[in-house]
Amino acid sequence: MSDRKLPRLLQTPAVLLLLVWMLIPLGLTLYFSFIRYVLNNLRRPEWTTPSISNWRGFGNYEFVLNNKDFVLAIQNSLLIVCSILFLTVILGVVIAILINKTFPGQGIVRVLLISPFFVMPAVNAVLWINMILDPVLGLQGIAVGSINDLIGSLREAPVIGAFFSLWPELEPISFRATQTSAYAVIIMVTWQWTPFAVLIFMTSLQSEDQQQKEAAVLDGAGAWSQFRFLTLPHLGRPIAIVVMIQAIFHLSLYAEIEIVSRGNGNKNLPYLIGEFANNNIGAASATGIFAVILANIVAIFLLRMIGKTLME
Amino acid sequence: MGRIVLKNVTKSFGNTQVIPPLDLTIEDGEFTVFVGPSGCGKSTLLRMIAGLEDLTSGYIEIDGDDATQVPPSERGLAMVFQSYALYPHMTVRKNIGFPLRMAKMDQSEIDKKVETAAKSLNLMDYLDRKPADLSGGQRQRVAIGRAIVREPAAFLFDEPLSNLDAALRVGMRLEIGELHERLQTTMIYVTHDQVEAMTMANKIVVLQAGVIEQVGSPLELYHKPRNKFVAGFIGSPKMNLIEGSEAAKHGAQTIGIRPEHIDVSTTDGMWEGKVGVAEHLGSDTFIHVHGVEGCDPMTVRAAGDMSVKNGETVFLTPQSQNIHKFDAEGLRIE
Repeated sequence: MSDRKLPRLLQTPAVLLLLVWMLIPLGLTLYFSFIRYVLNNLRRPEWTTPSISNWRGFGNYEFVLNNKDFVLAIQNSLLIVCSILFLTVILGVVIAILINKTFPGQGIVRVLLISPFFVMPAVNAVLWINMILDPVLGLQGIAVGSINDLIGSLREAPVIGAFFSLWPELEPISFRATQTSAYAVIIMVTWQWTPFAVLIFMTSLQSEDQQQKEAAVLDGAGAWSQFRFLTLPHLGRPIAIVVMIQAIFHLSLYAEIEIVSRGNGNKNLPYLIGEFANNNIGAASATGIFAVILANIVAIFLLRMIGKTLME
Repeated sequence: MGRIVLKNVTKSFGNTQVIPPLDLTIEDGEFTVFVGPSGCGKSTLLRMIAGLEDLTSGYIEIDGDDATQVPPSERGLAMVFQSYALYPHMTVRKNIGFPLRMAKMDQSEIDKKVETAAKSLNLMDYLDRKPADLSGGQRQRVAIGRAIVREPAAFLFDEPLSNLDAALRVGMRLEIGELHERLQTTMIYVTHDQVEAMTMANKIVVLQAGVIEQVGSPLELYHKPRNKFVAGFIGSPKMNLIEGSEAAKHGAQTIGIRPEHIDVSTTDGMWEGKVGVAEHLGSDTFIHVHGVEGCDPMTVRAAGDMSVKNGETVFLTPQSQNIHKFDAEGLRIE
């Protein structure tokens, strides 16, 4: 037994640090979620300091559940996370396979592909919402405007003019509207995180056994069958990794949502927590606990699903 | 059916020609072994026959039809790879059935054929396992099973036994030999191990640097090596090649004598030398003798009960009818 003491002793600082790091915030969140704790209340100044005497039981949870934004926030969190995962995995696999072949300029193309990942989330959001998706000044507005101009001028033309006058005027989409702001977030985060998926899938593709592919060629497998029966199962584990890491990151999206619509009609759980935290720390903590539960459910569910479909 | 003819086949990678023009005919039902040191182009040649490598020039005929431009899957050849190349995510059953599934065969028929193949390879108990759960020999058998179910015109083996341990290798060698006896299908087998070549082949093709040095049956190659390279490559331990005055006595540049064709004596003989290392195998003793002019060390095979010690003097006498003579170009003199 004594020869185990030293290794344990040496591990202790790291383990303690980890526990402190993880358990104290979680413990405090749990504690705050069960008491009345607000930052500013003139009528009940005793609520402004956290104390066990302000015990509220499940009151904070009830308050959060009854909040009109809560269900929307859960739905939105799931919509945003699942859409981004779906898009990044598909785009990631396709792009990784395309650039896995050798071609001139490969190095530059790879660096360019990775670069969106180095853009800060807030900058990414500002770039997309103002320069690309803006219905008037952004690329979208300019593109829609010039297509409309082109069709407009074609209407004047002889013979074919009659045909083009049947075409409707195109309307640019405003991504700041409540219904569409979630899509703007999905688009910009997908753009930013696809490189991450590409990077991981590419390294995995490079470790694919070439003799297996040759064997499959001799067995009569075409390009699609090779992809379906060899490459995709080979990518099963990296896909699971990408999904898990991204699920963790995207459940806590904040900057993009703040910049696109300031949460108008497009809150997710972290944004709701942020709103509560302006004053009601107790409710914010209760929402935080809901977020932890949601994250776990999502992670378990996604991993099971991917494990089943890909590993056969 | 499986008669394969290579005509004027060449292969270059960039500017380096790895296979200069080469002609070869493999008859239907033959067990042909390509043997040579690593890098001699034997695997490239096999891959060219399989269609996995393009030909730089020349053409390949399978059963009389030009197959040069035929895609690999339509050549009717099945290949067993060195790494087995099993599909790791599929069970043994699916692995073996994969070529049939790709051929869009009925599931019931696939099951039947897979079971037949599995029975003949003793794989029935492992059908629902994945390759990772199998031993090396079992994986090898699965790879062979995947080749058998296709009922190919010819089997191509690319060093299939080199990942197995020595004991298993002997067993698998026998199994592949029996498989050939049973199926009577053309087999082309690539190896760098001359023992495998000698034990399995009907016909051995010895290659060096992409050039065919000799084609013949194992015993032809053993008794009448066409040149010094083949003489040194076939036979274990290697033939002793002696140069200088001893060779001149026989009117040759080099003479060769196999270790098993030298008589050893502790009292008298033609050549005298000192024992270096003696390897006792039980059945035989291989003695490395130093100090014989023109060949150092000279390897000789003695009886298993011969006891000699390091540094002892021994006398060697070659059996004159078994001396191979080679000229200045290294070619055999009859």
